[in-house]
Amino acid sequence: MKFTIDWLNEFVDTDGFSPAVLADHLTMLGLEVDAVTALFQDLAPIQTALIVSAQPHPDADSLSLCQVAVGDEVLQIVCGAPNARAGLVTAIALPGTILPGGVKIKKSKVRGIESFGMLCSERELGLSTGHSGIMELPEGTVHGQSLIKAVGLDATLVEVDLTPNRSDCASVIGIAREIAGAIRRPLNLPIENAVIDHANASFSVDIESSELCPRYCARLVTGVTVAPSPWWVRKRLLSIGLRPINNVVDITNLVMMEYGQPLHAFDFDTLADKKIVVRHPRNDEQNFTTLDGVARKLDPDMLMICDALQPVAIAGVMGGLNSEVSDTSTAILLESACFYPVSIRKTARKLNLSSEASYRFERGVDPGGCVNAMERAVQLLCEIAGGTAVSGGADKYGGQRPRKTLILRISRTSQLLGIALDAPRIIEVLLSIGFRCKEKDGDTLWVGVPSFRVDVEREVDLVEEVARLIGYNTIPTSLPTVQMSYPEQEKTRMIKAEIGAILTGIGFSEAINYSFTTEKHLQWLCLAEDDPRYRCLRLLNPLSEEQSVMRTMLLPGLLENVERNINFQKTAVKLFEIGKVFFPRGDNEQPLEKTRLAGVLSGNRFGGASPYHYKQQLVDFFDAKGAVEYLLQGLRLQGVGIHSSLSFVQSESSMVEPFVDLLQVLSIRTGVQTVGFVARLQPAVLRKFGIKQTVFFFDLDLDVICQLDAVVRSFTALPIFPAVNRDIAMLVPEFVAAGAMVDAVLAMKEPLIEHCVIFDVYQGDSVKAGYKSVALSVYYRSAQKTLTEKHVEKIHVKIINELGSKFEGTLREG
Amino acid sequence: MKIMEQELLRLQNEARQQLELLAKDDTLSMAQQQLEDFRIRYLGRKGLFGTIMRELGTVSADERPRLGQLANTVKSEIEKLFAEKQAELCGNAGEKKGRGGIDISLPGRYPERGRLHPVTQIMNEVCSIFESLGFSVAEGPDVEHDHYNFEALNIPAHHPARDMHDTFYVSESILLRTHTSPMQARIMESQQPPLRVIAPGKVYRCDSDITHTPMFHQVEGFLVDTQVSFADLKGILTVFTQKMFDKELALRFRPSFFPFTEPSAEVDIACVICGGKGCRVCKQTGWLEILGAGMIDPEVFKMVGYDPEIYSGFAFGLGIERIAMLKYGINDIRLYYENDLRFLSQF
Repeated sequence: MKFTIDWLNEFVDTDGFSPAVLADHLTMLGLEVDAVTALFQDLAPIQTALIVSAQPHPDADSLSLCQVAVGDEVLQIVCGAPNARAGLVTAIALPGTILPGGVKIKKSKVRGIESFGMLCSERELGLSTGHSGIMELPEGTVHGQSLIKAVGLDATLVEVDLTPNRSDCASVIGIAREIAGAIRRPLNLPIENAVIDHANASFSVDIESSELCPRYCARLVTGVTVAPSPWWVRKRLLSIGLRPINNVVDITNLVMMEYGQPLHAFDFDTLADKKIVVRHPRNDEQNFTTLDGVARKLDPDMLMICDALQPVAIAGVMGGLNSEVSDTSTAILLESACFYPVSIRKTARKLNLSSEASYRFERGVDPGGCVNAMERAVQLLCEIAGGTAVSGGADKYGGQRPRKTLILRISRTSQLLGIALDAPRIIEVLLSIGFRCKEKDGDTLWVGVPSFRVDVEREVDLVEEVARLIGYNTIPTSLPTVQMSYPEQEKTRMIKAEIGAILTGIGFSEAINYSFTTEKHLQWLCLAEDDPRYRCLRLLNPLSEEQSVMRTMLLPGLLENVERNINFQKTAVKLFEIGKVFFPRGDNEQPLEKTRLAGVLSGNRFGGASPYHYKQQLVDFFDAKGAVEYLLQGLRLQGVGIHSSLSFVQSESSMVEPFVDLLQVLSIRTGVQTVGFVARLQPAVLRKFGIKQTVFFFDLDLDVICQLDAVVRSFTALPIFPAVNRDIAMLVPEFVAAGAMVDAVLAMKEPLIEHCVIFDVYQGDSVKAGYKSVALSVYYRSAQKTLTEKHVEKIHVKIINELGSKFEGTLREG
Repeated sequence: MKIMEQELLRLQNEARQQLELLAKDDTLSMAQQQLEDFRIRYLGRKGLFGTIMRELGTVSADERPRLGQLANTVKSEIEKLFAEKQAELCGNAGEKKGRGGIDISLPGRYPERGRLHPVTQIMNEVCSIFESLGFSVAEGPDVEHDHYNFEALNIPAHHPARDMHDTFYVSESILLRTHTSPMQARIMESQQPPLRVIAPGKVYRCDSDITHTPMFHQVEGFLVDTQVSFADLKGILTVFTQKMFDKELALRFRPSFFPFTEPSAEVDIACVICGGKGCRVCKQTGWLEILGAGMIDPEVFKMVGYDPEIYSGFAFGLGIERIAMLKYGINDIRLYYENDLRFLSQF
C-alpha cells in the first residue's frame, strides 16, 4: 500500500508529525513501513519555463523557434511540439540534465539553429503516456522554479508492507484511521453513512448468488465528458505509481485508493436491456476479452458481471473490452460491490490475472462501505467530468450479516498478554480505531466490530487489537514458570554433530547443497536405467531444469563444489555433506527421506598446511579409506576387526557403482548389507563434471550407521608381561590381498597372538616378476609369563605354513 | 649441627645473589658460559650443594631427616631459579646442542583444519541456547503434506496468507515445506502439554534473487503450558537474542500477522551494522528483523485437540541464514550454497 503524506492529511491532520514519526507509529501498529521516500527526485533539475515567443523554424515547417524565459534568463530553444506557443508555461530540461529515460540533454544545433535545452512532454518526464505535445502547466505558473515544486509533486511517499489480514488499510482512509487513533486527532471523512434511494432506478440488478456477491451497488451518471483528469487527480495517481488514463477511470482508481473499495465504470450504452446480472458464465460463454485486450478462457466457477445478453466483466478482477469506457462514452454506470474473497482469489489464480481490485476483494472489502465510496465517485464524476447523477440506483445487499458483537474478558486479555489491564484502558484504545465498547459486567465487555474490520472475528482477535494499540513494547518481559524436565536428545543429531567434529578435525569442511538438482547428473554418473536413484521426486513448479528434481544422491552436488573450488584455484578439496535424499513412493504420499553422509577428496593431501613440514603429495585411495576408518573409530564403530559392526569388503564388480574405478573401490558392509562405498571416481565421469584431477569419495547410509551399536567401553587389565615381536616376510603372488593375510593370521585364533600388522609391501629387483613381498609383524603375549623366542617359535612356524598354503607363499630369505 | 644448617642457608643466599648478578650478555654463548660456570660451582656433582649432601651422611640419625629435608628444599629452589634464569637468558636455545639449532619462526606443524558450514554453526548455537532453557529438539520431513504445512496451521486453501509462501509442489497435496512450523502440529498432535520444543531444518520457497535462495534453514520453537503469556514470549526471545548477539543489543517487538499465531509479532534488533543510526542494510530504520513469533492461535490448538481455555503457548520461527548474515556480516546469500572453501574456511 502506497500513499503520500499530503493525501493522508486530507483525512487526518498530521501537522507537527514528521513522516519518520508517522512511519514509526504505523510500523509499531503492525503496518510495517517499508520505505519513506521523497518523490520525483529524478525530476529535480527540471524547471518551469515560459514561452515568450514562438516562430516557425526557417528551414523546417514542423519545428518552431522559441524564446523561453527561465527565471532571469531568456533562452533560444528549437521545439517540435505542435502546442509550443507564446504564453504557455511548460517544463524545460537545461543542458546537462538527464531525463528519467536516461537521455542527457546537450546544447545542440537543430537544422542550423542553436537550441539551449529541451521543452519536455509528460511522457519524456515519465508523468504520463501522452505525447501530443509539451507539458502544459496552469496559466500563471511562475517560471524558473523547480517543476516538481510548481506542480506539487514534491510529495513524500510512504510504502506499507500490508499483512494479508489488514485489507482495511489498503486505503488511505484506513491508514488515516490508524494514525488518527495513534496521534489522537479526529478522522475527517468526505462522505459517511451514505444511502441509495432505490426508487426509480433506470436499470436493474439481479444477483444469482448472494453468497458470492453479498452486496452490489450501482448508480448511473449521464452527460459525462471523457477527457484527461485535472492535474490534482493525475498527481495523486502518479505519486503512488498509477498511470492516469482518463477522468472516469482515474476517479474509480482514486476512490479505490481512498476507500479501499474497488469500483468499476461501465459504458452504460453498451449494456443490453439496461441490465446487470451477476452470475456464472453459461456453457457457451467460454471466451471473454478483458479490457487489457487479452482473450481469457472462462470457467463455470467464475463469477461474471453480465448484461441481459452476455458477460461484461469478470467480477472483482477486471472489466471487459465490450463495456469499456471510451472517449465517446457519456453515460457511466458505476459499480461498487462486495464479492466472496475465495471465489475472487480462485478466479484471479486461474486467469493468472491479479489487479488492484482482486488484491482487495481477495482479502475482503468492507461490505458496509460500498455506498460511501460510490457516492464519493459520483460526486467527483459530477465535479470533474461534467456528469449528472441520475437519481436512484441499486443496492442489492442479500449477504447482509448482523453486526458482529464479541465478548472480551478483561482477565483473559491480561493473562494472555501478561500485563494487568483494566476496562477503561481497553475501551479507550478500542474506541480510538472505530470499535464500540460497552461494559457487560466487571470482567466482560461487549465489543462491536466495525464492518471494515473483516479480520476481527474472535475474542483473541480483540486481544491482539488491544496489545497492538497499547504497544507491544509496553508489555513487560517475564520468563515462563514451567515444570523442569530433561529434554531427551535424539541420537541421530548427536551422531551428526560428532561426525562434523571428527571430519573437520582431519581437514574436511562441511558443504550444504540444494536438495533439488537435475537428473542430468545421474546420467553423467552412468547410473543404469533401472537404478532406483533414477526415479526422482519431481517438482511441479521448479525454478529451473537445474533444480527440478529432489536429489537421490549427495555426490553430484559435492562434485559441483569440487569443480567450483578448482576453478577458483583452490585445488586441494576435502568436503563432506550430511543431508537427505528422497525416494518417491505413491502419488500424494510423502517420499522416503534417507539421510546420507558423503565426502570428496582431491588434490594436495595436506591442503593449506605448511608445505615446509608437509611436502606436496596428492591424496590417494588410502586417504579416503583412512577418513572413513578414522570416522568409524571416532564414533566407536570399529571398521576392521573381530568385533566390528562394519567391515570393508572388496566388492564384486556387479555390485559396484558404475562411476567408480573398479580397481580402487571398497564397499562398507554391516553383515550382508552394503551401507556405502569408498572409491576413486572414473576420470571420464569427472570430466563430465568439468574436473580434470583425481577425486576420491566416500558415501555412507547414515540411517543405518546411526542404528549400529557403538563398541561398549569397558576396561581390560593392562598386560603384566612383555610382548614378543617376530617379523615374517612372505613372497606371495601379486594378486594376494595383504589384508587377507592379516585376517588369516588372526583367524588362527592362537591365544598367544596379540595382534598382527603389515609393515611392508615390496615389489622390485629382488622379487621375481608376478610376486610381491609382504612383511608382517606379529606380536605374541601371554598373560601368565614372559614369553621367550622358544615359546613362540612353534606358532610362528604354523603361521608361515598357514600363509604358505593359503596364499601360495614362500618365506622370503634375507 | 647448627653449623651445617647455617652453611646451607649461607649457600642459599650466595647462590641467589650470584644468579641475580647474571645479566644478559652480548652474545648467547657468553651467557651460556656464565650459566654453565654457575651450574658446575653449585649444582654439579662435585659442586657446593653436592658436598653438603654427602656430609649429611655424617649427621646423627636424629637430625638427619630434618637437615636432609632442608637441604633438599634449598637445592630445589636454587635449581628452579637456575632454570628460570636459563630460560630468561637463552630462551629454549639453552637446550640446544651444537651449532645453529632450529629456526623457531617456522610455522607449527598441524594438519589443515576443516570447518563446519556457517549455517550448521549458527544452527548448533541456536539449538544449544534453547536446549539450555529445557527445550528438546525434533526434526521433521522436508517433503510435507499440505495439511501440516498449511491447513493445520490455520491457513486453508485460497487463504491470501498462502501468498506469503511461494510453494514448491510435488503433487496436489504434497509440497516442500515452506517453514518449519509444521512440526508444531506434528508434535502437538502426538504429545500432551507441557511442551518445549525446537525444530530446526531446511525449508523451501520458489523464490531466487540476491536476497532469497530457494532453500534455506529455519528453527521453529514453541512452548505450550497453562498460563503462558505474551510477556513470557518476550522474555524467552529476549534471553535468546541477547545470548545470540550482544547483551546490550536493543530489541523491539512489533505487531505482525501469521495465521497460526494471535497476537503475532515480529522481532527486530538494533541494526548490528550501524548500531541503530540507520544505514543501507536496515533501510535507514535502525532495526533489523530477525524473527517472527506469536501466541499460538486457538484454532491451531483446536485442530490438535487442546482446549484453548486451558492451554496457551507461544511459537517463534527464525531464519538461520539471516542470523548468520547479521552475525558475520555476510552480504550475499548465494554464497551459502556455493560451498567455496574460501568462504567456508572463514568461519
